[in-house]
Amino acid sequence: MSEITITIDGQELSAKPGQTVLEVAKENKIDIPTLCHDNRVGINTSCFVCVVKDENTGNWLPSCSNPVQDGMNITASGHEADDMRQTALNLLLSEHSGDCEAPCTISCPAHAKVEEYVRAGREGDHWLALDIIKQRIPLPISIGRVCPRFCEKDCRRNVKEDAVAINDFKRLAADLHYDEYMEDMEELTDKKVAIIGAGPAGLATAYFLRIEGIGSVLFDRLPEPGGMLRYGIPEYRLPKDLLDKEIDHFNKMGGIEFKCNQKLGTDIELFDLKEEYDAVVVAVGSWKSSSMRTEGEELAYNGIEYLEDIAHDGWQAKRDPGETLVVGGGNTAMDCVRTSLRLTDEKVSCLYRRTEKEMPAEQIEIDEAREEGCDFQFLTQPISLREKDNGRLVLECIKMELGEPDASGRRRPIPIEGSEFEVEADTVIAAIGQKTIAPEGVPTNQWGDVDVNENNCQADESIFAAGDCVSGPATVVEAVAGGRRAALGIKAYLAGEEYNPEYQINVSRGYWQSLNEDELVYLKEPEDKERVEQSLIELSERISTFKEVSYTFTEEEIVQEGKRCFECSCTAKTDCKLKEHSEDFGADPEYFKENVKLDHSYNIEHPQIIMDPGKCIKCGICIKICNEVVNEYLLGFKNRGYETKIGTAFGEPLPVNCEECGECIEACPVGALDWKIKKLEEMQ
Amino acid sequence: MVKRIKVGMASCGIAAGAGEVKDKILEMNPDAEVVEVGCIGHCHAEPLVEIETEEGSYLYQEVEPEEEFIDKILNLEDYSRFVSPANRESKEKLYVTELAGKINPVSIEEYEDNGGYSALKKALEMEPDQIVEEVKTSGLRGRGGGGFPTGLKWSFLAGKDDKDKVLICNADEGDPGAFMDRSTMESLPHQLLEGMLIGAYATGANRMFIYCRAEYPLAVKNLNIAIKQLEEAGYNYINGADIKITVKEGAGAFVCGEETALIHSLEGKRGTPRFRPPYPTDYGYKGRPSMINNVETLANIPLIIRDGGEKYSQIGTENSTGTKLFALAGDLEYSGLVEVPMGITIGEVVYDIGGAEDGTVKAVQIGGPSGGCIPEEHFDTPIDYDSLTKLGAIMGSGGLIVISKGRCMVETARYFLEFTTKESCGKCTFCRIGTKRMLETLERITGGEGSHEDVQLLGDLGKKIIKGSLCGLGQTAPKPVLSTLNFFENEYLDHVDEGYCAAMECKALVDVYLDQETCIECGQCIKVCPVDAISDDFVVDNGICTRCNSCIEVCPVDAISRVKREEE
Repeated sequence: MSEITITIDGQELSAKPGQTVLEVAKENKIDIPTLCHDNRVGINTSCFVCVVKDENTGNWLPSCSNPVQDGMNITASGHEADDMRQTALNLLLSEHSGDCEAPCTISCPAHAKVEEYVRAGREGDHWLALDIIKQRIPLPISIGRVCPRFCEKDCRRNVKEDAVAINDFKRLAADLHYDEYMEDMEELTDKKVAIIGAGPAGLATAYFLRIEGIGSVLFDRLPEPGGMLRYGIPEYRLPKDLLDKEIDHFNKMGGIEFKCNQKLGTDIELFDLKEEYDAVVVAVGSWKSSSMRTEGEELAYNGIEYLEDIAHDGWQAKRDPGETLVVGGGNTAMDCVRTSLRLTDEKVSCLYRRTEKEMPAEQIEIDEAREEGCDFQFLTQPISLREKDNGRLVLECIKMELGEPDASGRRRPIPIEGSEFEVEADTVIAAIGQKTIAPEGVPTNQWGDVDVNENNCQADESIFAAGDCVSGPATVVEAVAGGRRAALGIKAYLAGEEYNPEYQINVSRGYWQSLNEDELVYLKEPEDKERVEQSLIELSERISTFKEVSYTFTEEEIVQEGKRCFECSCTAKTDCKLKEHSEDFGADPEYFKENVKLDHSYNIEHPQIIMDPGKCIKCGICIKICNEVVNEYLLGFKNRGYETKIGTAFGEPLPVNCEECGECIEACPVGALDWKIKKLEEMQ
Repeated sequence: MVKRIKVGMASCGIAAGAGEVKDKILEMNPDAEVVEVGCIGHCHAEPLVEIETEEGSYLYQEVEPEEEFIDKILNLEDYSRFVSPANRESKEKLYVTELAGKINPVSIEEYEDNGGYSALKKALEMEPDQIVEEVKTSGLRGRGGGGFPTGLKWSFLAGKDDKDKVLICNADEGDPGAFMDRSTMESLPHQLLEGMLIGAYATGANRMFIYCRAEYPLAVKNLNIAIKQLEEAGYNYINGADIKITVKEGAGAFVCGEETALIHSLEGKRGTPRFRPPYPTDYGYKGRPSMINNVETLANIPLIIRDGGEKYSQIGTENSTGTKLFALAGDLEYSGLVEVPMGITIGEVVYDIGGAEDGTVKAVQIGGPSGGCIPEEHFDTPIDYDSLTKLGAIMGSGGLIVISKGRCMVETARYFLEFTTKESCGKCTFCRIGTKRMLETLERITGGEGSHEDVQLLGDLGKKIIKGSLCGLGQTAPKPVLSTLNFFENEYLDHVDEGYCAAMECKALVDVYLDQETCIECGQCIKVCPVDAISDDFVVDNGICTRCNSCIEVCPVDAISRVKREEE
């Protein structure tokens, strides 16, 4: 038969009779997305992601099924086509259950690939683990010790016992291989960025800039780099020789320069830096202590000033604070308490105006402070501070009770009239919060923090900002995440582009708190296994020295702990076509509200293969492959309409010899049929 | 002198108790022969008994299986005589259903005595292409819903050189409220089969199927008896061979009325549609060229051959010739099966034939769940394929539901969409998931939880489902929603903005109110309330009340009513 001519998106193309529109488009490198099409089998027609418009009739057609006709005029792209495809994908996502990413990875502020480095650790490949960690976390020695572990709070293992001890995987990987590890970096360009503040955010910005081939100079007002890591976090949590090792790596990377004892406004000026460098990053942190708003508060230490002083002294017991009162309930208060306990044999108390439940400090910090002998006085609010003739301090306090919840959701403390009392001490430390002091000439928001574009951390033209000075006092891992955004923002800015983070979707089965054990999907049935706990040094050593409190997990412990991971993320996360197209067309798993999700039943009886119908998009391509390519009839449709399912006869597991074939798995556009084994090399 | 006693024993009659009536008559041992006949269309008057005498026939309605009652009618007393509603006779045109209810459906002799199979005999003396031409001339269009010219379809099959060709009668009537095909098969199985045999001769088909839903046992039974009778009479000897005719019972999926899904089901496969082309006339049952015609379409064929295409085309309008059967239901006086000439107005059907009360009707739904609603102000629209399509409805297979002002259009749309959502085969994304999401949205609106965005979403998603579906089910499923949105958007907005259902139908938006001024304290409401929501001092606790309406119905003084729900 003779050739025929059709038009796709204005391009006149010749085609053979019997070809489909999709085939002709593919031949001519016109991209039409599809989920349910496979060359090896006959026409399927299910997903309707490949719809195109026949301009002659005005009809929308599935291009995978429609045979070409002479004179056809097809529109395969443009707003209308994108809109139809987005809707098809929104609909498919609305009944799609699963976890594109594991909840731990999602909840990590830096989105480090947690499940992957935990798996590498379990397999004993700590180098690979470090490699995965360093994609997002340039300070694994520090964060491996001080992170409040957002990931573990969302770990699904919490449904059974406790979370997997995720942060300990980072710590071991970094302890083992940090020295010899060197990342792949772009060659240095002639661009140079000034970074004000060599704390976590500044370091992370420098790191990610360097990866991209951009050099930087880090300015810091203090004598040595590290910021809060060095001058805020006590030695017993993060030994400074380890911090030195961590920062020394930045020197080894080349192209990163440190200039310390450089105070903004005195030694350096923002205006000059702006002139001299291609971009400037403000990463000055939040170092201003909040006021106790009590009479005589000048007699008290500020929490971070207290810690900074001791840091300058090299975390040694040069001075005995004597009987100590620490006011506040956050992590800085706990650092002050535990530091004081190491410096004195006298009583150290912590005064907090609410109860332990409302304390913002990490529970482990509270527990360890208590073990080390802290005396907690809850529901206690200071009113005034005065000095006695003998130099001792007298803090007048009032007892509180809890009222209705306030804006933060915590119950508001209310003073109990007539319950005033006094306590005496040698040292009073106020650790009730910190604020940012933004450099002049930088835009700020209502809280006094630097105001930036969330996506690229740009504050104003060539000025970018990251870390606590943007977010207010937060964590190291959050600062590091901000540093990466700033680096990518600067990279785009220097190239004359605007950085927009890639649109990513995440389908989730939900937080573990809303799930029960049966609703989880396991690659293998989990054993009951308690969490491996960190070993600590002797208590007597803890209260008398600044030696690091905890030991790094052993490799055996990491293997044991790694076995507790449920591996929640989708087996198909690197090759899911639904995810890929959804991201391309801006589809949103939350577009349709109140979806009735189907049941989460799955089948892992086959040694190698998992069948997870919740992910299935019911295209039936597996059925066709099994029939038409493999010549078997192992899969079929069940039910109709919205209740349609694909499965085996009577829900039997697939035969064991299916593992020799796997054609259906290769054809499945999502992870409804997949290999159970998540391979190490796919993790990076 | 009573000659014969005819009892209407189609499904509608049996459901109304005609079986008991017939047994009672037999028990009374009358001198005359008692025969079962089909349906005359007046379902509202069933059970119907016709007494044939030398002098003429007398029809009795709502006959009770009581000796006293039957005695009276056997004596031709002027008691419970059937009187056709005044205007109906003049508006109706009994053409295809002329013999329905008048002859014994499973007596080939009676059919022959009334001219049956003479059209086939006439056809067999014509050339096949002459017949196709005759059908083309008649202007007959497919009665299953699409309205494709029948003669043209026949010419496609006739033009195929293949040795084996298949003629399939689509009897998978599945719309809620539609029963034209059932009635035709039950009452006139021979007329349908005669039409099929003429079609086989004209197109060269050598195999015939009737794909009938299994929920129509009487139709299946009567067809099988009729097939046996015509085979014994040799009528199936066409083009030099005996043609096999098989009644295939469908398993109840609505989508199997779609021709490609029907063929899959006939082949024993999962009943899901496939992309066309290829059309069934190119690639049908087991790959053979196949033609699918609807029951009513085929029942027209003997009349076209008998009267000639030219004469047939005089009935109806220029582009919609002939008559149309409608299953009348809903809020009207005389429900049942009617046959009207094309071109009659909607108003004539609703008021003159259906006897609906003036001023009570809000709209009609034509075409069942695939169709759309037409509001009262458009009741002067003639019933023909093109006028209905213009208004967003379709001729469909002939379901016509009258919607009174006491009904909520949002709830009506929800009802139809619930049906199509359940009946979606699940093959295409837009239909499988889209209809479900639309249904959930409608449920939010009728449940008092809807928003403006929901109303917008319905319109937007509805249009996309129509564009992005493979077969007629998905391409029409959103129509009841879109057409009610088009004509009654205010009702949707009342629901989401004011929490108000004007028809007081949506339970979540109404309270039940007992007016103590009117109340005579008879206590019947308290007695009838299944959940004890009415207190001894006659106050309704709307927190307990389930809005079942029992109290409203039982109240002798209309003191209880539904009112707009009080804001909490």
